[in-house]
Amino acid sequence: MATDRSNPQLPLMPLVTLDNVSYIYPRTERPALYDVTLDIGKGEFLGLIGPTGAGKTTLCLSLSGIVPQFYGGRFFGHMTVAGLDTLEHPVSRLARHVGAVFEDPETQLTATSVENEIAFALENLNVPREEMLIRIPRVLEAVRLEGTAKKHPRELSGGQKQRLAIAAALAVQPDLLVLDEPTSQLDPLGAQEVFATVHELNKTLGVTVVMAGHAAEELAEHADRVALLVDGALVAVGSPDELYADVERLERCHIRPPQVAQTFVEIRQAGVPVPMIPVRLREGIAALRAAAHVHPVQVPSISPLTTEKRGVPLLAVRNLTHVYGDGTMALHDVSLDIHAGEYVLIIGQNGAGKSTLVKHFLRLLLPTSGQVLVDGVDTRDLTTSALARRIGYVAQNPDHQIFNATVEAEVAFALKNLKYDAVEIATRVAESLTALGLGEQRGAHPLALPKGDRARVVIAAILALRPDVVIFDEPTTGQDYRGARAILDISQQLHAAGKTIIVITHHLYLMPAYAERVVVMGQGALLLDAPIRTAYHAVDVLASTSITPPQAVLLARALAEERQADFPLLTPEEVAACFTVNGFND
Amino acid sequence: MSALTLPTVERDSFFTRLDFRSKLALMAAITGVALVWESPVLGGALALVVMLACLAVGVKCSYLRTVLTLLLPFAVFMMVMQGFGGADLVRARLHRETLTPLFTFPASWAIIGGGMMTWEGVLYALNVVCKTLTMILVLPLGIFTTDVNAMVIGMVKIRIPYRIAFIFSATLRFFPMLFEEIQTIIEAQRLRGFAFEALGPLKRLRVYAKIAVPLILGALVKSQTLDIVLQTRAFTGSSQRTYLHETRLRAADYAVIAGSGLFVIVAAIAYYGWGIGCFGKW
Repeated sequence: MATDRSNPQLPLMPLVTLDNVSYIYPRTERPALYDVTLDIGKGEFLGLIGPTGAGKTTLCLSLSGIVPQFYGGRFFGHMTVAGLDTLEHPVSRLARHVGAVFEDPETQLTATSVENEIAFALENLNVPREEMLIRIPRVLEAVRLEGTAKKHPRELSGGQKQRLAIAAALAVQPDLLVLDEPTSQLDPLGAQEVFATVHELNKTLGVTVVMAGHAAEELAEHADRVALLVDGALVAVGSPDELYADVERLERCHIRPPQVAQTFVEIRQAGVPVPMIPVRLREGIAALRAAAHVHPVQVPSISPLTTEKRGVPLLAVRNLTHVYGDGTMALHDVSLDIHAGEYVLIIGQNGAGKSTLVKHFLRLLLPTSGQVLVDGVDTRDLTTSALARRIGYVAQNPDHQIFNATVEAEVAFALKNLKYDAVEIATRVAESLTALGLGEQRGAHPLALPKGDRARVVIAAILALRPDVVIFDEPTTGQDYRGARAILDISQQLHAAGKTIIVITHHLYLMPAYAERVVVMGQGALLLDAPIRTAYHAVDVLASTSITPPQAVLLARALAEERQADFPLLTPEEVAACFTVNGFND
Repeated sequence: MSALTLPTVERDSFFTRLDFRSKLALMAAITGVALVWESPVLGGALALVVMLACLAVGVKCSYLRTVLTLLLPFAVFMMVMQGFGGADLVRARLHRETLTPLFTFPASWAIIGGGMMTWEGVLYALNVVCKTLTMILVLPLGIFTTDVNAMVIGMVKIRIPYRIAFIFSATLRFFPMLFEEIQTIIEAQRLRGFAFEALGPLKRLRVYAKIAVPLILGALVKSQTLDIVLQTRAFTGSSQRTYLHETRLRAADYAVIAGSGLFVIVAAIAYYGWGIGCFGKW
């Protein structure tokens, strides 16, 4: 039970009650929610965590009555929001009490100006115009979007768009704000903006917040309580300290714990007594310093990674500048060589030029000035279809790359177009499907598969062409921890098989196990090109493109400051290894 | 860029400041007169004026070029059909039996041998093409210069139910999204080695036909998401709602509405009284 912040002994008045709630979607057998009993107190910030398919979205939709009123299906139990039964009151009535913000900032904005976006719900609720004119600037100020009222939503950044969606929900003056993975499509800066806004609304205006997501570090920082859902069932509810400190349970449920918690569990396993597992960075740094005072610490032996490559680069960029039709300079004088067999990570805030750069490799874009060479040949002299045989491109959203009726047809598509004979096609399709573990799904419609599997279908289709280079453009966006790791594991297998791999992602904590070299981009320029250990510790360069290194790196830097020595560590295991007798061997 | 965007002009002009109701009146007047006129000269002049107006308010040249390119096959088809085969219709419109031959295919040619292209047939085809062009171009003139929200309010003001006005505006926003989806799918195919650029027009059409399934599936997913978003924003489609923006007809609007009415009346009197605009009085 949540407690009153001013007096932790007092339980909060429940705003939301769920009594033995179960729900089954139409034409399915498995319950999406199973026997969930939960109270959410007024003014509480509840984090909702769980792997993909755990029921987080279903629970969020049920709070606004969309489930089951929109979807149908079978609903059991009893749920109230602000005293209203969610089965008995229409969604439009519940909308007065529940504001909803969804994952994709693009699809939830429908108006042609910021003020119209905010006004839409108010207009539907018959709020007088004079009242709207008072509320709109007020909510814009609350989400720090003052001065944007007349702008078109498309002029806003991803983070600003999500804050606009929050403002639109907030204008109704709801009792409850429900956010379903609101930061999963955003870059770190956008995510930070959204969390800061929601935190402020919760703490200063007392808005009750339910936020589903995978952002462990941020939820540990901001949530009052965290609820863990697995297979539709509520497995645990408790404070972030209770939930996130139980790293073993989280890992069992395929949920990524905050790196700081993971680090201290490792340190404890190394034999160092840790009284309490910290789940927030500042507590982690304090605990690390305390531990370093009483226990010997040594820099683990780490074999340095060399990224020095010789010979003709496979991909070469020479003074590349790209200016879009609207005058936006997306790339400015970028030069870069990528050699065969490298695993390169490209990072930078949204708009840094990452996707613009890789699209040049495929001739989806042509240089405004400068040159892009693939194996020494200028891309101007090649076609996209010719380049696609050598360079595979996995887009962020696999659904955009699926256009056949079966998995098998999808994988065979390119081969048929390139007029391979039937035997060769059959061989390559079988080879690709086996490599990606899709043999059993070959007859299924690709869009009927889960998102992670759909990404594998796209990769299988690309591999059938046997490309030399595979580019993964934000493959981890919108994926849970297990899904993200599964895709990156495939990239690792391809790398081991000799392919050149390029990955663009904002999820830096995932990459030490995979990448060797990091290219940091900011505002269309190449800011840094270095081995991963150097790049992840170049905090000033990263900050200039609004990127914060993973918590393990920040802990390592705190240790370095404490001991006045260099600790070029990247992962919780490496930080924990500083406390072991023999150190860590990379 | 958001998927749900409608092409709009960037230039602020007299036309962008007009109320949507006055634009509707103007669009209706131009469309009505274009439908009635059969004179290729007057029809052509009207199409030209509308096209110049489009340019003046800021409709992009590239858009006009696309419209003209798409209309070209239709124009050629009409010329052939009316030039060679529309003699009976043209004679009936002109109330005379003799038409002016432009050229005749040698009688010895198979199928088309003896076929005669007439001057009047070509002019009739031109009249149809100009009508079509006027009616197509009047749409960007009215719609690209108006904010979707203002369109909805304007339609509600003329007593069109809000639900229908909203569906109209949602449809307008949906077209660019569909176009964007098509481009995404074609790009995905090119990224699988599919040489779209090397295909002829017919093969391209076949490719477009094939992408209908993923396109429709994608559109359904997006429309369902949009539906959920609208419901959480208390949307019911009811006309019992308030509006942030008020719309009021100003002097310029009244002038445009009156001018549109006057144009229709004068065109009708001229047409029925003196035959101005009739086919054959060019």
